[in-house]
Amino acid sequence: MTKRQLGLTFIVLGSLGIVGLFGIDLLGAGQFNGIGPTQRLGLLAAGAVILVGLTLLPLGDKPA
Amino acid sequence: MSDPIIKQTENKTTGWETAVSYLPKLLIGLALLAFVGYFVVYNLYAVALFRFPFDYDQGEGFELMDTVLFSQGEWPYRDNDSYPFYSSNYPPLFHVVTVPLVWAFGPQYWTGRLVSYLGTLLTALAIGYAVQKAGKRWWLSVLVGLAFLASNYVYHVGPLFRQHMFMVMFETVAVVYLARTVAKEEADGRFYNKRLLVVMLLLLAAGYTKQLAYATVAAVFIFLLLRQPKRAIAWAVPFAAVTGLIFLWINVATDGYWFLNTVTANINPFVPGQAEGLFRQWFRLHTVLTVTAVLFAVYQLYFDRLSLYTIWFVVAVVNSVTAGKWGAGESYFATAIAASCILTGLAFNRLLTWSQQANDQSPLASLQSPKTHFALMMAIPILFLFQANQMFHMPTHTPALAAIAAALGRPTEVMIAPQTSCSAPRAPEPIPYVDSAGVSLLGRLPTAVDTAAGIEITDHILQGETAAFSEDAGFNFRAGQDIVTNPTQLLNLYNNNEVDLTEMLAMLNDQAFDTIVLRAQFYPPPVLDAIGQQYETTNLVQMNGFVYCIMRPR
Repeated sequence: MTKRQLGLTFIVLGSLGIVGLFGIDLLGAGQFNGIGPTQRLGLLAAGAVILVGLTLLPLGDKPA
Repeated sequence: MSDPIIKQTENKTTGWETAVSYLPKLLIGLALLAFVGYFVVYNLYAVALFRFPFDYDQGEGFELMDTVLFSQGEWPYRDNDSYPFYSSNYPPLFHVVTVPLVWAFGPQYWTGRLVSYLGTLLTALAIGYAVQKAGKRWWLSVLVGLAFLASNYVYHVGPLFRQHMFMVMFETVAVVYLARTVAKEEADGRFYNKRLLVVMLLLLAAGYTKQLAYATVAAVFIFLLLRQPKRAIAWAVPFAAVTGLIFLWINVATDGYWFLNTVTANINPFVPGQAEGLFRQWFRLHTVLTVTAVLFAVYQLYFDRLSLYTIWFVVAVVNSVTAGKWGAGESYFATAIAASCILTGLAFNRLLTWSQQANDQSPLASLQSPKTHFALMMAIPILFLFQANQMFHMPTHTPALAAIAAALGRPTEVMIAPQTSCSAPRAPEPIPYVDSAGVSLLGRLPTAVDTAAGIEITDHILQGETAAFSEDAGFNFRAGQDIVTNPTQLLNLYNNNEVDLTEMLAMLNDQAFDTIVLRAQFYPPPVLDAIGQQYETTNLVQMNGFVYCIMRPR
């Protein structure tokens, strides 16, 4: 796997994480109206994962 | 004839330089002294625990009970609805390994404590081995191995009759062996499948020691996916199949109680504040190890290939979030600490080697010099000394240890109020144990007074005729009575609506137990209600900083 592929994997995983965190609300789980504290932390983590993924894209075909 | 003044100056300069050149050795010696000191402290604690014949940490006696059941050829995954209402929520391997000691010496607490303690020593050896193979600097290898044992968390739980550190041992040995195997494969240009099979067996052993090992299994397969995707899938399929078949076999053999007790009963509420507090504490106690590991991980992410150790560290840190589950705790960071110790050793080795090389193409070539190497040789032991200070913990029950603590600017005792759930609060009392982790229920050495207290509680049980309904198993073990239920497991099952308390409540309402022993009131609310209605407190006995309430029928 290359650094670029690893970056793309991070972006996909982070995006899925964000979708999943909002999906929890659709399923009716959670105790808070809007975004709860655990959800907020999860969203921050998912955002960080996407950010790291983006920074890996320019590294191209170097081995991961 | 040379000028005597010039000659004298030259000699002075040479002498000064010689003295300075010894500074790194002196600092390394001090760092080694600090961590050897922690190792001595760890052994003092371990020996004190080996000699203590009752529960020190809640739940130890139930792990002993699991071992006793295995030693009799029985499963500990049982029906909680009927007497003795006992079941285990942990996989079997740690207990099975301890069985021969129970066969030989009977149901003794030191058996599992010894096995767990030896597991931590093997883990430290594996950490040191991994770093030694990478850098051949014995002092650094020794420091990182001892740093693992000096972690407050490892110290607290290492010599307990708990399976967690035995899982960490299997995880660490598996990861170190795989890292060596892949390095050898890449050097030789061929696969060593027998070695990989050993790694898989070690991972299987980790998982069947404690469920939490799934994180290390994930880290290993993520690494293999990065380096050898086809091979990763080829090994993941049979690994999952074997793991699943063993799971099914145990589940069938226990009529489904394996799944109920090890999976369903482990679905506990997540407490965000607990997780956050533990993360903050972990970082504060392991600052150097953690920061170095993170920096090396970032370096590998952008400038090198990701190593197995880096992936293991990241996955273990993320998985440490599960320390926020009710019933979980600091020990959940042990895997991350093991990984950070290895990464720290590798990072420092890499820096030292780099500073000794000459690479004109490197943008940092001008920094590769004897002066940089000297500075690093000074900085690294200083960082280890700083780390040693961060994780300070020491029993101070002897004048010598108290003097050392005082000389290091630490208190010689800490005022802690005994923990009680069933009596009036008690005044704080001096405890001869100091710990940077804060007020800790673990770490203090049990004393002869604590042993006498345990014997006193047992004597209260022996005044009756039945087994006690006790939150600790140790008293019934000593009294030769049945071990009746496991309170935390019972609570887990109750919270998941997976236990029928009818028979237990009927027995309590009929005052079928002559004695009740409460420590933390972990039983489900209906059980506590029945106890409160049918029993009254007759004696209070303090052991290991806890007030035990002895209750008799009203």
